Amino acid sequence: MNEPLDVKIDWDRCMGSGNCVFWAPQTFDLSEDGHAVVIDASATDEERLRIAAEGCPVGAISLWRGGVELPAGEES
Amino acid sequence: MASSDTANTAAAAFDPYELKDVVSGSIRDPYPKMHELRRECPVHTGPIDLGEGADIADPNRPAPVTVFGFDEVVQVLRDNGTYSSSVYEGVMGMVMGRTILQMDEPDHRIARAMVAPSFRSKVLERWEEELVAVVVNELIDSFIDRGHADLVREVTFNFPAQVIARILGLPRADYSNFQRWAIELTSVAANWERGVAASEALRAYFAGVMEERRAAPGDDLISDLVRVEVEGSTLSDEEIYSFLRLLLPAGVETTYRATGNLLLALLTDRSQFDALYNDRTLYPQAFEEALRWEPPVTVILRRAMRDTTLAGVHIEAGADIALLLGAANRDERKYTDPDRYDMFREIRQHVGFGFGVHVCLGMHLARMESRVAINTLFDRLGEFTLDPDAEVPHIAGMAFRSPLSLPVVFAAR
Ligand code: HEM
Ligand code: SF4
Repeated sequence: MNEPLDVKIDWDRCMGSGNCVFWAPQTFDLSEDGHAVVIDASATDEERLRIAAEGCPVGAISLWRGGVELPAGEES
Repeated sequence: MASSDTANTAAAAFDPYELKDVVSGSIRDPYPKMHELRRECPVHTGPIDLGEGADIADPNRPAPVTVFGFDEVVQVLRDNGTYSSSVYEGVMGMVMGRTILQMDEPDHRIARAMVAPSFRSKVLERWEEELVAVVVNELIDSFIDRGHADLVREVTFNFPAQVIARILGLPRADYSNFQRWAIELTSVAANWERGVAASEALRAYFAGVMEERRAAPGDDLISDLVRVEVEGSTLSDEEIYSFLRLLLPAGVETTYRATGNLLLALLTDRSQFDALYNDRTLYPQAFEEALRWEPPVTVILRRAMRDTTLAGVHIEAGADIALLLGAANRDERKYTDPDRYDMFREIRQHVGFGFGVHVCLGMHLARMESRVAINTLFDRLGEFTLDPDAEVPHIAGMAFRSPLSLPVVFAAR
């Protein structure tokens, strides 16, 4: 079993496109001021999380496992 | 969203039935040529011929650049310091005024933050049932008892303009004028004078509407825009006119084409039609794959602000850069079997909505509108199929692509 993924959002980059919310609504939400926030990293399967991270138009989402950042597009 | 000064926009005309005459067989499928050029090099300098003839290069300007590769397109769109959106100031700026599309940072960020709240998916929910579903149902009412229809002429072509009119809260009596101006503005490349006249008519029309909304705000986008305040600044009247005019080409033309492309993909592959028909939760991937496979906007533009290199190719400061979203979305270094529509493919990333800070502002509206249209068609027509007696439809166009017709049959009710 893999350790669960951790999801981080770089607020300096996030431009509030909401693309992550579209792909993984159980994990991401948009705050009042238009930043994405992580509500529950474990609520979405990893494949969808990866789609959300790759689809972020400003590269603001990073995925981490055991304190190590996953390279973009890593297979499982 | 390409401006006519660099792209060959024979396909920019708005009415698909007019378009039929302009679109020649050679631009039915520009993709083989794009694959060929991408394999040579993902970035090309100088004029490119994709089947409509190459533009004549202006010898007094830096050589134009065309980008065919996915990673290269993303790299340009991420680096908005080097690659500027001011390239749209020319033709687009003249007809639309100064819009977020042509701004660079930091102006762009500030201006976009003012309009962005109105386009969040949560905010759009209020329009889904009362507005989008109503428009689509009305359109279907007009042919449901007939048992056959052309879904382009009778549904997809009409619904986004009507949705925008209602989101703006325009009175019903004004719809036909509004749609005509929208068409004339969007097809400005085909008829400059008519387009400019429509732009002025829209400005005068919006001025009246804005005055009314200031006096008596309602639950509509124009009321939102006249009230919006971000960190102490508000939108000027001129900024609102410009933004509203931008919504016509950006929000109408694109959504109608995207919905048509998805329908064509489904109608020509029965197993995928059935998959979505029977499991509507597949809609997000079905729609996004349609945007990858046939993005309605196939090319967007940038201008290099300094000398630079991309994929080893030298780019001169001031060069105009065409980013072929269609070619990037079928980059065989990223996607297996890229020319096939497959809603079950593993890689779902695409640049059909652009990428980076200018990524489509209306993506949630487009996704919602198209979802409601497809679901309503499914619910009311049942399992409709291509009309066996009509010619099999196909997608055509260059800067903008979509099917010209979608003749279908269904059990009349
Ligand atoms: C499927 C339908 C749509 C597609 C394929 C699409 C595509 C695009 C693309 C490729 C861009 C980026 C342009 C660039 O970077 O040069 C863009 C920007 C934009 N789109 Fe869309 N669009 C669609 C629907 C809509 C809708 C429904 C609206 C609004 C009602 C809209 C409003 C905008 C605006 C305002 C921008 C400019 C954003 C900025 O510059 O920050 N679009 N769109
Ligand atoms: S996709 Fe990226 S830019 Fe858009 S809201 Fe999510 S984190 Fe922010």
